[in-house]
Amino acid sequence: MTDQPRKSSNVFFSLIADTFQEARARWLFWGLFALSSLLVIIFLFALQIDLSAGAISLLGVQSTSRRIFNIQKFVNVSYSWVAIVLYVWGTFLATFASAGLIPSVLEAGRIALLLSKPISRTTLLLGRFFGNLLVVSLNHIYLVGAVWLILAVKTNIWEYRFLYAIPISIFIFAVLLCVVVFVGVISESAALSVMAPVALGLISALLAQYPIIIKLLDSEWARRLWMILYWIVPKVFDLGSALKQLIQLDKQLDWFTPVWTSAAFGFTVLIGAVYIFRKRDF
Amino acid sequence: MTSDFAIETDGLEKVYRARFRGREVKAVSNLSLRVPAGVKFGLLGPNGAGKTTFVKMLLSAVHPSAGSAWIYGKDARLPQSRRPVGYLPENHRFPIYLTGYGMLDFYGSLSGLPSNELRKRIPGVLDLVGLSDWGPVRIKKYSKGMLQRLGLAQALIHRPRLLILDEPTDGVDPAGRREIRDILNRLTGKGVTIFINSHLLSEVESFCEYVAIMRKGELVLEGKMSNLLAGSGYTLVVSNLPSAALTDLREMGATPQPAANGIALQSPTREHANLLIDKIRAAGGLLDSLKPSGATLEDLFLKATASDDAISERAA
Repeated sequence: MTDQPRKSSNVFFSLIADTFQEARARWLFWGLFALSSLLVIIFLFALQIDLSAGAISLLGVQSTSRRIFNIQKFVNVSYSWVAIVLYVWGTFLATFASAGLIPSVLEAGRIALLLSKPISRTTLLLGRFFGNLLVVSLNHIYLVGAVWLILAVKTNIWEYRFLYAIPISIFIFAVLLCVVVFVGVISESAALSVMAPVALGLISALLAQYPIIIKLLDSEWARRLWMILYWIVPKVFDLGSALKQLIQLDKQLDWFTPVWTSAAFGFTVLIGAVYIFRKRDF
Repeated sequence: MTSDFAIETDGLEKVYRARFRGREVKAVSNLSLRVPAGVKFGLLGPNGAGKTTFVKMLLSAVHPSAGSAWIYGKDARLPQSRRPVGYLPENHRFPIYLTGYGMLDFYGSLSGLPSNELRKRIPGVLDLVGLSDWGPVRIKKYSKGMLQRLGLAQALIHRPRLLILDEPTDGVDPAGRREIRDILNRLTGKGVTIFINSHLLSEVESFCEYVAIMRKGELVLEGKMSNLLAGSGYTLVVSNLPSAALTDLREMGATPQPAANGIALQSPTREHANLLIDKIRAAGGLLDSLKPSGATLEDLFLKATASDDAISERAA
């Protein structure tokens, strides 16, 4: 007699664990770890900058109260730029690393066996998605955490807002991963799966320049199209800017709009990927 | 809902459409089939007959264009219908980054087994397929035959009631085939339905109790193997027969023909065969052999798959 059903959460965990194992076996996990370590080592040895002393020397401020304020600001600006470097580095590296994980599971002799198991296609795809997210999240935590620790020990300024780079990087990667999954399910091509999110990231940087661009556009429909695209495309650039502002304690910070619009985009694309995956023949 | 049938399909059909040209290819057409629970069933057909598409529709890897399928009475589209199913696909690609043990653990967990139960079962299943020493070794080190046996182990790990094997001995050497057949024979009598999709006639003939033959997406022959292979009479081989007796036998309706060790006689019924034997013995002839005359599976297969107007023949 066949056994009783296992909890679906355990099946989901098995799928996540399998993705993690595949990432390790394909050297994606260790590759990400190694490249992140390279960046950490650069910060550890190559950047021999004493931010506090450098700021004092650079600003040449005498007044104690004003000096503290300016040092703090200088350090925050430095931190914010480091965070941006990590944000871009981590997000795009993770996207490259994740490109093959969906097409690999769709290989003919592999998907048929997975689909023969008593699990829904939605569970199968989402298990893969979250497994991938877990791999990258661990890498982001390591990368940002290690750099933060080095900077903090070096400057003796424990700027906790720097750690916002972890959730923001993971969030935007999750949105781009939705695109990887969508393209992977449709095309089964690892190359195309990485091209699409990278292109979206670059396009988002361009679209975010709308305050300048729409002034240069002479037709109304072109301006509208630009703004529509701006609202649709995940705001990789805007979230990077928001991260910078967050660390710099900028009062003009607007992080909510890029978050919800990007989340809506990712959610819609993921729903689309699940729908197509459920309908496809393998 | 329970059913006496492990597999039931009603008018199952699959039409593939070319993405841009709009051309249609019918891979499976109006296929209605019932596989009784607990039997060994062989599905035969030439390449491109639609066998694998049919199996994939049963497992919901391919969505039917029309018709329905049930596994033990449950709608085959539902994930829970696949709980009693163990499946070994053709041209499988197991995750080579896993060890044999790890693979059984992964697929076993997807089949619904908890970790503690898997820990107990995996050594036994590895032993059953003769891979007990290979559990901790990565799959990429396995030979083709070992991969097939490991695939069989993953199909058996949750003790399925229905085992679906798609070309289980494809690419396996004769010794490996024998091992796989032995493993399957050990399951006989345990109530497991074994559904083999193959193009190896001898394998299906020697192992299966029921057979179905597909051709160009259609079911052209189906029934119990013994009924399908049974002929309509008997063949007697006799020797030392006087020529006068031969004339008498001809008059009795026998059709003598030269055979390797004497003369072969065809008899249409059991009673008639007995009358012939009485006559032969009375005439001083010797009966060398007596066997039911019948076709081989190869004869049936070639007949069923050759003609365009082959009609589905039911011999249940």
